[in-house]
Amino acid sequence: MSKLKSHAATLDSGHMYALSICLIGMSLFSYTNRFEFIHYETSTWVWIYAMTGACLILNFFMIQLPPEGNELSMDSSVYLACIFTFGTSFALTVLLMNCLFFSIIDRKTSWWKHLTNFSIYCIMIAATSALFQYLGGSPGALVNTQLFMYLTVLTVYFAANTLLVGLYYYILYRGTLFETIKDIIKDSVFVFLCTLALSLVLTVLVYHNQILGLMLFMCLAVLLSQSFKKLFAMYRSIEDRANTDQRTGLYNHSYFEEVLEQEIQKSRSSGAPLSLAMIDLDDFKKYNDHFGHLQGDKLISFVGEMLKTESQKSGTVAARYGGEEFTLLMPGYDSLQARDYIDQLRKKLNNSSFHGVEIFPLGCLAFSAGIAACSLDIHDKSQLVDQADQALYYSKRQGKNTVHTYGMHSPLEQELDFSQDVRDIEQQLNLFMYKDMETFRHSKRVFRYAMDISELLDIDPISKRNFTLGALIHDIGKLEIPWNILNKKDKLAPEEWEMVKWHVTWGKKMALTNDKFKELAPYIELHHERYDGKGYPYGFKGEEIPRLCRMLTIIDSFDAMTTERPYQPTKSFEEAIIELRACAGSQFDPELTEFFIEYIETREHRTGDTAV
Amino acid sequence: MVYDGIIFGLIVGFFRGGLRHGLVQFSNIRLKAGWIFPLLLVFQFLMFDIQERSSTVAAASGYIYIAVYVVGLIFLWLNRHNKGFWLILTGVFLNFLVMLVNGGRMPVSVEAASVLDPIYLQMLKSGDAVTKHFLLDASTRLPFLGDIIPLSSPYPRTQAISIGDVVMNLGIFLYLLNIMTPAAVDLKSQPKVQG
Repeated sequence: MSKLKSHAATLDSGHMYALSICLIGMSLFSYTNRFEFIHYETSTWVWIYAMTGACLILNFFMIQLPPEGNELSMDSSVYLACIFTFGTSFALTVLLMNCLFFSIIDRKTSWWKHLTNFSIYCIMIAATSALFQYLGGSPGALVNTQLFMYLTVLTVYFAANTLLVGLYYYILYRGTLFETIKDIIKDSVFVFLCTLALSLVLTVLVYHNQILGLMLFMCLAVLLSQSFKKLFAMYRSIEDRANTDQRTGLYNHSYFEEVLEQEIQKSRSSGAPLSLAMIDLDDFKKYNDHFGHLQGDKLISFVGEMLKTESQKSGTVAARYGGEEFTLLMPGYDSLQARDYIDQLRKKLNNSSFHGVEIFPLGCLAFSAGIAACSLDIHDKSQLVDQADQALYYSKRQGKNTVHTYGMHSPLEQELDFSQDVRDIEQQLNLFMYKDMETFRHSKRVFRYAMDISELLDIDPISKRNFTLGALIHDIGKLEIPWNILNKKDKLAPEEWEMVKWHVTWGKKMALTNDKFKELAPYIELHHERYDGKGYPYGFKGEEIPRLCRMLTIIDSFDAMTTERPYQPTKSFEEAIIELRACAGSQFDPELTEFFIEYIETREHRTGDTAV
Repeated sequence: MVYDGIIFGLIVGFFRGGLRHGLVQFSNIRLKAGWIFPLLLVFQFLMFDIQERSSTVAAASGYIYIAVYVVGLIFLWLNRHNKGFWLILTGVFLNFLVMLVNGGRMPVSVEAASVLDPIYLQMLKSGDAVTKHFLLDASTRLPFLGDIIPLSSPYPRTQAISIGDVVMNLGIFLYLLNIMTPAAVDLKSQPKVQG
């Protein structure tokens, strides 16, 4: 009893749907067919056998279409021809025999799937033949004048098929019904037309030439399937060649970019970790100079071969990025696991023997690797590659043959780097001293807010660095705006306003000129995006804008509201908080806004206390 | 009918696998209790010869054939792991079944027999001389498993066969094809390695 209960618990709507389809299908079968086949003449049985054989052969010789796994069987054309030539109950008997044989041959598929399949066909055939009879069709020869009727009947057959299968996928995968059905229709229009023509041809052939007609039809169908198979094989080989690097047999750069894009999407939607490793052979140039390019190529192939076998074992994707650089994409690995895995690969390579390794400084094959883990802040695949690349150069600087993870420097080193970076940016900001003092002061204030906030937010050191530096540099693009617009006291004209908007793009370009500030680009470019998607320059919405950029927008606006300007009303902190709350959800991320307000309020409270 | 599947299998197998390779593979066939098959064949020919002369043997021929079938089925069961043997087993079983329920003889339909030599049809109708077969009528059990499929031009031979024969020959054909063309297996597994 408890077993039954646990079985019932695992039942879901998909099972219920399959069950009801089976019930309907089987009752339709017994009602329409009435098990007439018990009383068939032997000559009818010969036809049953022939048609069943035809269906089985057609199921075996499927027509393969790209992309992978897309196959179509032409057995529907046989069922339709059976309806047109011999009638409903005959068609259902053929279906029964076919399904029986097929379930014996294909024992891997579970019985209930076979039964559901059988029932779906039953419903389709019963509905179609009912319509066929209703429209005045009778089994026998193809009637020239009633072509429209055949067309209607075929359309209903496919409508039933699409609906039944579409509903199943809809229930199973929870898509939208309309989209699912649209996809199926898009895929199966070709099948529909094919089956339509073939079923009518088969009807004519069977009626006039009986078994010989059927044989001719089968010849054509099998040959067609074979030629499609050849075409498909050709497609596959060309696809493979386009995606692999000829020297190493690994995937090539362009395929890697494609997979990277997909994997980032996948990791975002599922929340599973994803890591990327950039691998560079150490001192390859030396080897090349010493032994010549031919031998160098052999070394590349050797390393490629090793990466290939290792990646196949571990379910990662290895690609040749170019020259002696390789990439390894590791879905499901966080940065620690990735580090261990790559380190293990490195040791393995150290231990493998190859001709001429003694010329290397370490006396063995070695590589340096940089690892970057995909996080929510990454909104472009090139960012991830960039981080891995930086980590790679860091490990090269550490004396090669090491693996370094992006963002894992020692704290002291970070401190030193950070103050150096702040000085560099301030140097650029100093230009505002003559151009627009207010922007200079604003940048410094926002920087201080960001420093405070970054302490409160739970973020890793690298994000912290980028966030605070981003806050400092965010308005750098305003350097390009002419002096008179920047310091204009009146309202800006529309075209002037458009120009001001460009500062985010100019600023990004300025930051990109310096390798160190590349990662600050999102803060500069996106700090005028709005949560509701009405901001500029892209109109990104909600989570599309990285979280810390959304935070920067709040700080930026808050500071602009509360800044004292001569001849202009200034908002007090209380008023500014009310304004922030009013815009939360439209301009600002509501959650972060509350976070910021809490910070401001506690800060005010504290300073107030000390004043007293 | 037993030979058709063998002949087709050999022809296609030689074409696909090459004559030499085919012959080498052919000599490598190892079947469990492989001696049963030729023995049954010889026994069957002996039976044809004996039942002409001895009436007691002719009377019991139905049971003897059923015994032969049972031995054959056991042989197939022992070797069922070979590709195609499941089909052979199914086919032979279907023939066995229809003969079992009809007293050890195979029913032949008039439509199917009409493609044969008229003399043979006459003999069937009179019900003598042809001990292994009899004419199908309303009292026949499982008529759809009997020899009801007529084969004639354009097929190179004229015969009346049963669905069991068809399934069995398909099995033989697939088995021979499988052992004579191992290259086909390699071709299929290739894309996986490339990926």
